[in-house]
Amino acid sequence: METYVDATGVDTAATTTTETMGKQNKKKLNVMVAMDESKNSFYALEWAVEHLRDVISAEPETDQPGGLLTLVHVHPTYLQYIYPSGGTASAVYATDSVPESMKKAREESTAKLFTRSLEICRGKMVKTETMILEGDPKEMICQAVEQTHVDLLVVGSRGLGMIKRAFLGSVSDYCAQHAKCPILIVRPPRETSTTSK
Amino acid sequence: MATGDEKPVMVVGVDESEQSIYALEWTLDRFFAPYAPNFPFKLLIIHAKPNAVSALGFAGPGIVEVVPHVDADLKHTAAKVVDKAKGICESKSVHGAMMEVFEGDARNILCEVVDKHHASLLVVGSHGHGAIKRAVIGSVSDYCAHHAHCSVIIVKKPKIKL
Repeated sequence: METYVDATGVDTAATTTTETMGKQNKKKLNVMVAMDESKNSFYALEWAVEHLRDVISAEPETDQPGGLLTLVHVHPTYLQYIYPSGGTASAVYATDSVPESMKKAREESTAKLFTRSLEICRGKMVKTETMILEGDPKEMICQAVEQTHVDLLVVGSRGLGMIKRAFLGSVSDYCAQHAKCPILIVRPPRETSTTSK
Repeated sequence: MATGDEKPVMVVGVDESEQSIYALEWTLDRFFAPYAPNFPFKLLIIHAKPNAVSALGFAGPGIVEVVPHVDADLKHTAAKVVDKAKGICESKSVHGAMMEVFEGDARNILCEVVDKHHASLLVVGSHGHGAIKRAVIGSVSDYCAHHAHCSVIIVKKPKIKL
C-alpha cells in the first residue's frame, strides 16, 4: 500500500511564509565526532562532513553562521600497559605510572590524528574544535555530550559481529543507549559496494 | 521525479510510539524544514505493521476467531500512524515525502527498504528500554544500527528531568 505526499501544488504565498519561517529556524547543528586511530572513525568523519555539509556549514550568502564541529578523542587509561615493576602490585593509578616515553608517543599519535582530521574538514566552511579526554572512551564521550549540549554525536562502527561485540565491548553500542543526544552510527563501507553513494 | 535520483535517500522508520513521532519531527526540523523547497535528502517514511498472527504470540484453537479482530485493530493503528506522519510533514511544509507501510517485523523491513532504495541514512527512534527489556523484547534501533547497510541515526526523546 503506497501513498504519496504530492510534491506539486505549493502556492507561492505558502512558499514565502515557509522561507521566512525557515530563516528563523535555520539553526545549524552542533555536531560532535568521536575519533580514534581506526580507519572507521576517519571514514565516519568523512561521511559526516560530506552528508551533513548542508546542515552544519556556514553560508556566507545568507549570512548564516555555521554550527560547530567538535572532534573528541579519548585516551583510554592504559592499565594493561603497566609492565610489572619488581613484582609490586601497583597498577591502580594508571595515569601516574605511565612512563614519559609512552606519554610522548601518545601525544604524537594524537597530534597526528587531529592533523589528519582537520585536513578532512578543511575547506568545508565549518568551525572545528578538538577535544582530548582521558578515561574510558564510552563514558567520557557520553559525559562530553552532556557538557557541551551538542545536537548530534557521530561515531564510527567497527561492524563487529554479536559475539565479538559482547567480548570486546562496543563504544557505539554504549553511546547509542546512554548518550543524551541523537547518535549517528556510520557503518564501514561494504567491500563489494553496489551503491553509488 | 527525475531530480530524486541525484539526492541521497533518507529512510525514517515510524511506529505508533511517542519516541518515533519525536524522531520524525527532529529529523524534519533539522534536515528538511530549513531548506525548503530544496531538501538535501529524499525522504522516505516507513511504517512496519506487525503481522496479526505474530502479534498474538500464541497458537491454539481459539486463534481463528481472534485474528480478524487483531488484524483490523492493527490496520487501524497503521492508518493512524500514517495520518499522523503525513500531518507532521504538512505542518513543517515538507512536501515530496514518500510513505510506505509494510507488514512484518520492523527490523527486517527497515533493513530491506534501505537495501532496495540504496538509502544513505536511516533514522529510527528509540524506546529507551533498559538492558533487561532489550534482551527480552529486543530493540529495533539496536538491530538496525548493526545490520543496516547504511549509516543510522538513533533519536532519543529527551526525558524531562524533574
